[in-house]
Amino acid sequence: MSGVAARTGSSRHPRMFRTIIGTAGIAGLGLIAVVVALNNVVARVSAGAVHVAPPLLAPGAGFVLGTDALGRDVMSETVHALAVSFSSAALAAAIAVFVGAFAGFAAVRMPLRLGEFVRAVSGVVRTVPALLLAVVLVALSARDFSTIAVGLAICPAIFNRSFDSAMRLARSRHAVYARASGIPGLTLLRRDLVYELRRNFLYVAGRALAAAATILATLSFLGFGAVPPHRDLGLMIAQARDSYLSAWWCAFFPALALVVFVLCARFAATDDNGDVS
Amino acid sequence: MWRIWLRGAAEFLGSIAGAILLLSLLVVAAQPPHGIWPFATNVLEQFLRAVAGDFGRSTATGAPAMIVAWKAFPATAQLMASGAVLALLIGIPLGFLLSAGRTLRAAAPLLQIVTAIPVFLIALALIWIALRSFHMAAPLHSRNTSLASLLNRGDWSGAWFLYLLPALTVGAAGAARLQLSLQRAADIAWAAPYRSGLRMMGLGLFDINLRFALPEIVAAMLRDLRAFVLALISAAVIVEWIFQIGGAAALFLKAAASHDWSVVSAILFLFALLVIAVGFLGDVFASLILSEEAR
Repeated sequence: MSGVAARTGSSRHPRMFRTIIGTAGIAGLGLIAVVVALNNVVARVSAGAVHVAPPLLAPGAGFVLGTDALGRDVMSETVHALAVSFSSAALAAAIAVFVGAFAGFAAVRMPLRLGEFVRAVSGVVRTVPALLLAVVLVALSARDFSTIAVGLAICPAIFNRSFDSAMRLARSRHAVYARASGIPGLTLLRRDLVYELRRNFLYVAGRALAAAATILATLSFLGFGAVPPHRDLGLMIAQARDSYLSAWWCAFFPALALVVFVLCARFAATDDNGDVS
Repeated sequence: MWRIWLRGAAEFLGSIAGAILLLSLLVVAAQPPHGIWPFATNVLEQFLRAVAGDFGRSTATGAPAMIVAWKAFPATAQLMASGAVLALLIGIPLGFLLSAGRTLRAAAPLLQIVTAIPVFLIALALIWIALRSFHMAAPLHSRNTSLASLLNRGDWSGAWFLYLLPALTVGAAGAARLQLSLQRAADIAWAAPYRSGLRMMGLGLFDINLRFALPEIVAAMLRDLRAFVLALISAAVIVEWIFQIGGAAALFLKAAASHDWSVVSAILFLFALLVIAVGFLGDVFASLILSEEAR
């Protein structure tokens, strides 16, 4: 019954509203990508430059977002940190999508029910939260590999979703009819892949980007992520912890940048049912 | 019915065995021996020891890793339980409210702004509000001071910082997860085609919701309990670190940083066991509810 309801387009938002949310998310990500690409132009001070102004200067005409305890321009630092966070999250999401989503799609077509075995293993890995899994992987390797660790940590969730989605496709009526009418398996596979790319992979990519950004920032905040001088938003917030009670702007603006980034990624991942996360 | 229980029990035991095997792999992979055969032998030995409850000894203290993990677990369990209660109190009404009417449903994405905030930012924001807006003083006591003794002394600041703020942060993370699963389940149930059929047969909306929609929503929520517990564990790790609570979650971070793999695997096993057990119970109760409904 639930499946029928989902297929018949039952959702909580009108289609246009969903389109607006999705478009806003993609536009937001595009804008962030432009800022990140031009980070050396947008930021007037180079990354990590200290004592460019008196420390803990409140936001004002000289420094729009103020300065931190070491006299760094918060706006420039936030832009540079956003660039680090964005590129790391994009790489982690790409790893997760390629390893998780494509493997999930391929696993359904494995012989001897091998795919279902892999799905069960992935289910067991999912009993450990992705954050903890990422911490373990970083501790096993090094903080420099936190991006890869996060990408791998969110793989099981994406694998499971892709596997289940591909399984529904492979067992759907159209697949049965196609096989019965003699359509070659490769043609059917190509059709399913295109359908999955349109319906599932883009949604998964948005979800993966949001999850990767959140976990990477959390890892850096906990001391398992970015390594100075390459500060990301999480590390910037962690380093502002001592001063944020008296100088709120040191943590507020990087936090705002992080939330906007995660929100855009989640909005971009609006699926057919209007689910945005 | 017995088939549901049997299948659930088999999945439960299989998941536990799988979790132990993966953790054994982790411990051996942290200090891998040369060659595939010694590696496989070590994994097997580690697995058999872990099945017997022996996860090795802590490299920091020399004490059995499971005892170290078990001693720290009550603080985390207490934090997660208080967070879960708050999450249920906030998440369930919110989930129903946001799926009740067309206007409120349209407001649901706005809630995503709140749920997009990472847990550590929620904790920092709550600390900032407590200190700056309510002019509370940061506590001088450690978490060892019980909540009852703090309240008896009239130390509201201490109670707020040591107990309520951590629980609120974990609860917020849980509530976000809970309302999401509830909302999804409610959306599907509200839009189910059988509703219009039952209306045509003369059944009132209240009866339809109570007898048909509610069991489905509750069952879907129970099936999603695993994700709820995962959210609580992740939040507990961050909260224990920020509020310096000496629980298993904070110990996990310390053990991972110092490469104390025996303790890491013992703590992960406890968390995995919790997730698997809650998931198992959720699945079984969901099946029971749906089978009752079908009857």
